[in-house]
Amino acid sequence: MENGPVSCLPTTPKMSKAKKVIEEALENQNPELDLADKGVVSFEEMPGLIDMHNITRITLSHNKIQKVPPGIANLTQLEMLNLFNNHIEELPVSLSSMPKLRILNVGMNRLDSLPRGFGAFAVLEVLDLTYNNLSETSLPGNFFMLETLRALYLGDNDFETIPPEIGQLKNLQILVLRENDLIDIPKEIGYLPRLRELHIQANRLTVLPPELGNLDLFGNKSVLRMDFNPWVAPIADQLQVGVSHVIDYIRSETYRYLHNRHIAARGPPPPKLNDKTRKISRNRQYS
Amino acid sequence: MPGVTMSFSNMSCSRCGDGFDPHDKIVNSQGELWHPQCFVCSQCFRPFPDGLFYEFEGRKYCEHDFQVLFAPCCGKCGEFVIGRVIKAMSASWHPACFCCAVCNKELADRGFVRNRNRALCHECNAADKAVLSGRHICFKCHGVIDDKPLRFRGEVYHGYHFNCTACGVELNSDARELKHRSGYTANEMNELYCLRCHDKMGIPICGACRRPIEERVVTALGKHWHVEHFVCAKCEKPFLGHRHYERKGLAYCETHYHQLFGNLCFVCNQVIGGDVFTALNKAWCVHHFACSFCDQKMTQKTKFYECDLKPACKKCYEKFPSEFRRRLRKAYDNTPKKSTSA
Ligand SMILES: [Zn+2]
Ligand SMILES: [Zn+2]
Ligand SMILES: [Zn+2]
Ligand SMILES: [Zn+2]
Ligand SMILES: [Zn+2]
Ligand SMILES: [Zn+2]
Ligand SMILES: [Zn+2]
Ligand SMILES: [Zn+2]
Repeated sequence: MENGPVSCLPTTPKMSKAKKVIEEALENQNPELDLADKGVVSFEEMPGLIDMHNITRITLSHNKIQKVPPGIANLTQLEMLNLFNNHIEELPVSLSSMPKLRILNVGMNRLDSLPRGFGAFAVLEVLDLTYNNLSETSLPGNFFMLETLRALYLGDNDFETIPPEIGQLKNLQILVLRENDLIDIPKEIGYLPRLRELHIQANRLTVLPPELGNLDLFGNKSVLRMDFNPWVAPIADQLQVGVSHVIDYIRSETYRYLHNRHIAARGPPPPKLNDKTRKISRNRQYS
Repeated sequence: MPGVTMSFSNMSCSRCGDGFDPHDKIVNSQGELWHPQCFVCSQCFRPFPDGLFYEFEGRKYCEHDFQVLFAPCCGKCGEFVIGRVIKAMSASWHPACFCCAVCNKELADRGFVRNRNRALCHECNAADKAVLSGRHICFKCHGVIDDKPLRFRGEVYHGYHFNCTACGVELNSDARELKHRSGYTANEMNELYCLRCHDKMGIPICGACRRPIEERVVTALGKHWHVEHFVCAKCEKPFLGHRHYERKGLAYCETHYHQLFGNLCFVCNQVIGGDVFTALNKAWCVHHFACSFCDQKMTQKTKFYECDLKPACKKCYEKFPSEFRRRLRKAYDNTPKKSTSA
């Protein structure tokens, strides 16, 4: 991962690995391509990939890809695209026009923005943007039009706030906001009817909106992760005994009162707690 | 010669009364004589085109002026009526233009009835009266239907105009219209059967309402159903062709099947029919239990790490940057250990 010595020699043996997988897939008419950890630096090393119109899944995790070509949108049958752990700094605008893409993993890359119109995916269900350099200013205007989204992974990014428009994601079941710089979370999250997994640990949160008490985060199919935040004392105390106690507490009239008072008299936000200087997502070439 | 002169002096022009010069041309029409310049239309004083003129009350007119002055206009098409004029309904008509307001038959020779200010043939008038009195009119013969009508392709008929599609017997109002099978909604595909043949054909009965199904039939749970009567046992919404899930003789929509009995696969989001992998607050079908980071398939025995409640295979975990692994470890050490089932 660290910047080792740069070689000018073409890495032919690895290039041929990717090519071989593609050729085999073409031969067997296999609609799924496993190209994880094949030393791929550029899509140009995989001629023919963009023309595999029947392909439904491409896995390109653990490579060194910097650029995703706009032509990828020609793969109209593609349902799953996994680009986890690459060197991607920018995604093409065309991506959101892919009609069947359901699962997109661009986690552990070097994104500090999303292309305009990104919210236009027709059927996107799972979007993983974990471990990038994204913040509320990186989201294009239509981001929360992604109504079909079931799971949104934004952990390990640089968000300080989450826009209230998140309330539009009516199908959201999983929301991960772990290890950002969040000062606040919007009350609209409390109105996401299907939410059953909420990860907000390691932020700068002091209080929770009482509306979060609406959520069914109690059941055995639900999870609320909220450790490592500078919670106000009553919440911190409840958390000591267990998350279910926190939920009980924020549903109380006492808490509602405390919350209002806290909001009215709130001081400056707590300092940023997470040291992100060593994150590999910071190794951008063009900044 | 003198005789000729004599005869000229005896004659005069029918219009101006003057005599004729021996060298003058004379127009002779029906025994009357005219100067050529006097043989003109009484209205426009121009010679008659092609010598054709119309006479009315002793005067002669060109066709144009005659029509303008004396010919009636047709109450339907607005043209002059020359020849046979039908005078009826306080107007004049070409015979071809005076028609029944309902069936458009020419009325000139069959007589008509005035009905709410329309001219109707006798049949249509009778039908109109019957409709007003609540009786049906046969769509084929326009006659009044005295007993129950036969309904077919959206119209009513005398039964005796039709025969059973199967046995050929003349039909009555008991005949059944068989709507064409699934896919065809067009009326024109429908056919008629006598009651006996209809019953013999084994028309399916809806498992919900117990009535015959003449439109699209849904077959499920060993029964037939009206499309709109095949519903989720929980929410009672019809599936309308959407996927349904069966359990213990009942059908459920995806949402309620999942809510009541099942798990949806985290990857394909479909109800898991066969073996289920459950871990990390999620479920996977056999095809989709895989590392979330490299999509490598995993089995029940594969060891995996957890990151944001998603499984990471050992290889992926080892590829995570060390600073990230450190954070994962810290978080793991802090969580109460119960959720992971692997
Ligand atoms: Zn006429
Ligand atoms: Zn008529
Ligand atoms: Zn009839
Ligand atoms: Zn018959
Ligand atoms: Zn029925
Ligand atoms: Zn239902
Ligand atoms: Zn599945
Ligand atoms: Zn893996």
